[in-house]
Amino acid sequence: MKKMTLFLFVFSLFFLVKPEKNMAAENLQAIIDSMKEGAVLKLENKTYEGNIVITKSMTIIGANKTVIKGDGTGNVISVKAPHVKLSHLTVTHGSMNRNSAEEYAAIKIYSDNNVIEHIKIRHSFHGIYLSKAHHNIIRYNEIKGMGKGEIAAQGNGIHVFYANDNLLSNNTVDGTRDGMFFDYANNNKSYDNNITNTRYGLHYMYSDENIFKRNVFTMNTGGAAVMNSNHLKLENNQFIINYGNQSFGLLLLQANDNYINNNTFYMNQRGLYIDQATRNTILNNKIIQNQIGIELWASSNDQTFTLNQISENTIPAVTLGGKGENNSWSKNGKGNNWGSTFPLTDLNQDGIGDFPITYHSSLHQLIEDQELTNLFLKSPAITIYEKINATLKDDEVMFKDSYPLTTAKGKHSSIIYLAIGLAVMLILIKGRHQLCIIFGRNGRKT
Amino acid sequence: MHYIWKEWKENIRGKGLWLSLSIIVILTISILFRSTALSFDKGFYILLINLFDTLIYFIPILCLFIGAFSIFQEKEQKTLIMLLTKKDNYPSFLVKKSLGLYTVVLVPLIGWFFLYLLLLKFTFQLDIKSYLIFVAAIVLMALIFLQMGAAIGSFSRSRMQIIGYTIFVWFYFFFLHDFILLSFLPDVTYENVKLFSSVYFLNPLQSVRMYLETGMGVYSFGHMSRLLQAFMWTKPVFFLLGNLIFWLAVSFGTAIVFNRKEGYE
Repeated sequence: MKKMTLFLFVFSLFFLVKPEKNMAAENLQAIIDSMKEGAVLKLENKTYEGNIVITKSMTIIGANKTVIKGDGTGNVISVKAPHVKLSHLTVTHGSMNRNSAEEYAAIKIYSDNNVIEHIKIRHSFHGIYLSKAHHNIIRYNEIKGMGKGEIAAQGNGIHVFYANDNLLSNNTVDGTRDGMFFDYANNNKSYDNNITNTRYGLHYMYSDENIFKRNVFTMNTGGAAVMNSNHLKLENNQFIINYGNQSFGLLLLQANDNYINNNTFYMNQRGLYIDQATRNTILNNKIIQNQIGIELWASSNDQTFTLNQISENTIPAVTLGGKGENNSWSKNGKGNNWGSTFPLTDLNQDGIGDFPITYHSSLHQLIEDQELTNLFLKSPAITIYEKINATLKDDEVMFKDSYPLTTAKGKHSSIIYLAIGLAVMLILIKGRHQLCIIFGRNGRKT
Repeated sequence: MHYIWKEWKENIRGKGLWLSLSIIVILTISILFRSTALSFDKGFYILLINLFDTLIYFIPILCLFIGAFSIFQEKEQKTLIMLLTKKDNYPSFLVKKSLGLYTVVLVPLIGWFFLYLLLLKFTFQLDIKSYLIFVAAIVLMALIFLQMGAAIGSFSRSRMQIIGYTIFVWFYFFFLHDFILLSFLPDVTYENVKLFSSVYFLNPLQSVRMYLETGMGVYSFGHMSRLLQAFMWTKPVFFLLGNLIFWLAVSFGTAIVFNRKEGYE
């Protein structure tokens, strides 16, 4: 009996101690320190305890379920040596402390030429933080935050601070403060990232000459906010359902000489929101089904809008706070395609409307003075409001497109309209009585 | 139960319910086909918003017609008089009739949206919570307008009156209500914004939309100004419930006070 009790006691110790966890906790930093420069460390399918600091060039590769768990007091992984490669890890539990001098992250990089890929990040203030780190590659990472609405208590998915020439590609960021935040960071490239449920999907401050292509921003408070940044290239990005009273697809604030080409702005509160920005070129974009297609504030000058498709927006474009100077709605004789917003003829079939179009709106003053106006933008009443105010001459010219593009018309749409028209006519002429019969009298005619 | 059975039999013999349901089915399917190009993970939300924006044109007017003509039919066929002379008074008749109407219209509607979910499963990544909110939004909207329809049916004397009232109610909520508020908008201040928001959310279309968009997490209310915070003085779901209770009460009240037992052609 005594032996049996002793056996059970010893056996139960195995359950309590969890030896593999503690061994790993003691060892990961020691293992890293013991490795040679340029070595490759393959981690097993288990949880290693951080925090760790990497001070020599090396490669750390995890397996499917390798987790590096921080102790919640600082950065989980600090990379202080160049040419470090981290891949296939889950990194979690960084410090969320906002009173410290340093802003912590799951992975903080202080050096150049590193590769961070296939990393999952959870429960940390910032996800990946590049601090004065250049020529790094950050790709295929998945960063999840605390969800939309939590602004102050959490950091950004990828935070780029005084860091140049980095490549950020194929990352997925969900529910952090800003998806990717660039602060004094130049010449970076962001390709194919997918950012949802953040405050601003992409946030540029004082960062010039950056390129971002093929990124998708959905359901953020703001898709991309470009502030005080110049000479950026934005191509083939999608800004979709960024809804809310303050929301926008793309904000250009004090941003100059940017090139915005071939992007899609779909179902946003405002497709493009331009304030105090100059000399931006906006071409070939699809600005569709937004509540306001383009909101242009008076302090914005010298923008060029050409070859864009701006259709099915409640208000195609609005200029607020007066008129900016030299904003041009066409270039080299090519304007924009306004879809069915404006009736247009093209008798000489050159793809350009026969007469210029001018958009008047009375709403600009209301939008400017009263923020609650935004709540009415989906209401059909807006159309009537505009029509009535047009007759009262309360409206102002919002823009003039001298060379509007005409749509290549699909034949089927006109056939559908014709069919609907005929059906309505038939009901009105022959079927008034029938309408009553359909809804009452059990379908009987007498 | 008798009323539900009676309502069901009357409606499946008639064309109104079938016409309404087939319109909804055709619309939902055509929007699904149009949305197949959307992305797998977020396309679901876009589809639901577009679907709602389309259905909002049809469900109110169809429900108004179904509700109004269902009551009026009782007058035309003299069944109302028969029922009232037996054991029912008008309020109890109206309650039972309304329950019958809800069951007959909403059960097939909910049934269809359940089937529709199966179709969506092949195309998009589903978010069941959002979908339930969407269905709840549609059902509540249908409920409010069915009851308004029942009120119209109660106080109308002829079919032409029904058509006239129905189109007016639809036009009012679709255009006039917001239009009137738009003209008051410049005078809205922090002091009177609560009153303004109460009137704004009296429009079922607005309160249902706000409930749907915030419930699905599409509409973000971050960084609200003081004015907007005062405007949203309670949660969208309470605005919607308040709206529901208000319009059900008003519709019942109007129907009971102004009901006319006789109808003529």
